[in-house]
Amino acid sequence: MTDSKFPELLEGSGDAETQLWKTLGEAEFEQPSARLRQEFYKNLEQASKPGVVAKLRNVLGFSGNAGWLTAAACVLVGVGAGVGAGHLDPATSADTGRLEALEQNVSLLHRSLVLDRLQNEQPGKRLRGVIDAAHLVQDDAAIASKLLQLAASDRVNSIRSAAVESLGSQLSSPAVGAQLMNMLGNTESPLVQLALIDVVLRNGSDEQIDQLLTLATDEQLYPDLQRHVLTTLERI
Amino acid sequence: MRAVTDEQLILWVANGDSSCLATLFERHHRGVYQFCLTMTRQRALSEDLVQDVFLKLLKNAKVFRNDGSFKAWMFNIARNVTLDHLRKVKRQNNLPLHLAGEDENLNNPVSAEQVAAGSQKMQQVLHVLAQLPAAVQEVIWLGRFEFDNYAELGQALACNEGTARVRMHRAMALLNSTYTRLHGAPVDD
Repeated sequence: MTDSKFPELLEGSGDAETQLWKTLGEAEFEQPSARLRQEFYKNLEQASKPGVVAKLRNVLGFSGNAGWLTAAACVLVGVGAGVGAGHLDPATSADTGRLEALEQNVSLLHRSLVLDRLQNEQPGKRLRGVIDAAHLVQDDAAIASKLLQLAASDRVNSIRSAAVESLGSQLSSPAVGAQLMNMLGNTESPLVQLALIDVVLRNGSDEQIDQLLTLATDEQLYPDLQRHVLTTLERI
Repeated sequence: MRAVTDEQLILWVANGDSSCLATLFERHHRGVYQFCLTMTRQRALSEDLVQDVFLKLLKNAKVFRNDGSFKAWMFNIARNVTLDHLRKVKRQNNLPLHLAGEDENLNNPVSAEQVAAGSQKMQQVLHVLAQLPAAVQEVIWLGRFEFDNYAELGQALACNEGTARVRMHRAMALLNSTYTRLHGAPVDD
């Protein structure tokens, strides 16, 4: 929100009103709950159930495999006629736009699905969400934050270590990197510590590798993992 | 830059592709929710009102005339849905419109994090805003958070550009006088 909005208002108003306008602009409002999105998609699905046209398609025999073949043949004939008449370009451009909109819908739905799974009560679904989230974490702060939360405090250690794996590509991001490095010295789970060590050895900066080495030499890691770190770093 | 405009999407919805409404929902549901929350101060009710708004968009997509902004049209619907609800509650409880059905625990609609972080002045401004009539709240909120020009603001408020400008100036003057009466003149932090 910028203060350049309605410059006329700011110019014509006194200092007090300008001050109130600026203060209001700093407000960050509460976000809706996940229920809103779930309800919306449920309503949309109900509203999109086959209507009169779909029923008419059934009556005319355009449903089923034979129907699809007929419909495909009609489309081919239509496209052929369009090319012949030289009118294909506007239609193609509209279809491309529609395709882009659908692709956007698919990715938004996929994101909602992953976020829902990350919050699911069942560990299996949470784990599925963590694995799927690895592809989205790069461009999505909300998913990164949820993964960090799971990595730090999920009750199932294998989910915590999977969350660390999924966050691996984000080790270079200052916020995520700092929290993962902080977790490295403090986690009580050897499984999670092993995942963190692997991520640092694979994707860590020189500074992060130095931090890992310090933790190993100061004996702040589990003994087996300490040996693993020292041996690997010697080899490097 | 968006690949597809809101106006194009609602035209596709009007032509029977209701899946395009999902993209519009993802783009705008937060803004509509926050508008409803500011006006009603009830979380669950605001979520229900958002559903109503998007169902109305679906039903009335064919009514959208492509000579204005989709967003202004959508907020006009959101405003009507919200004000209808407030009028209904007012009739039932005989309360002033702006006090109809507040959540007791919702002092202001900002996030808990921000309350914790605590800009006292911002909370005072929001508190004062909440005490003003609905017609004042809506013009300030829509002007501050959703629209960049008086033409669109006017479309959202179902009035012309000049009236929107006058309403905004009067609303800000009222906010200022009420704030000053309660907390003293607003000064730079």
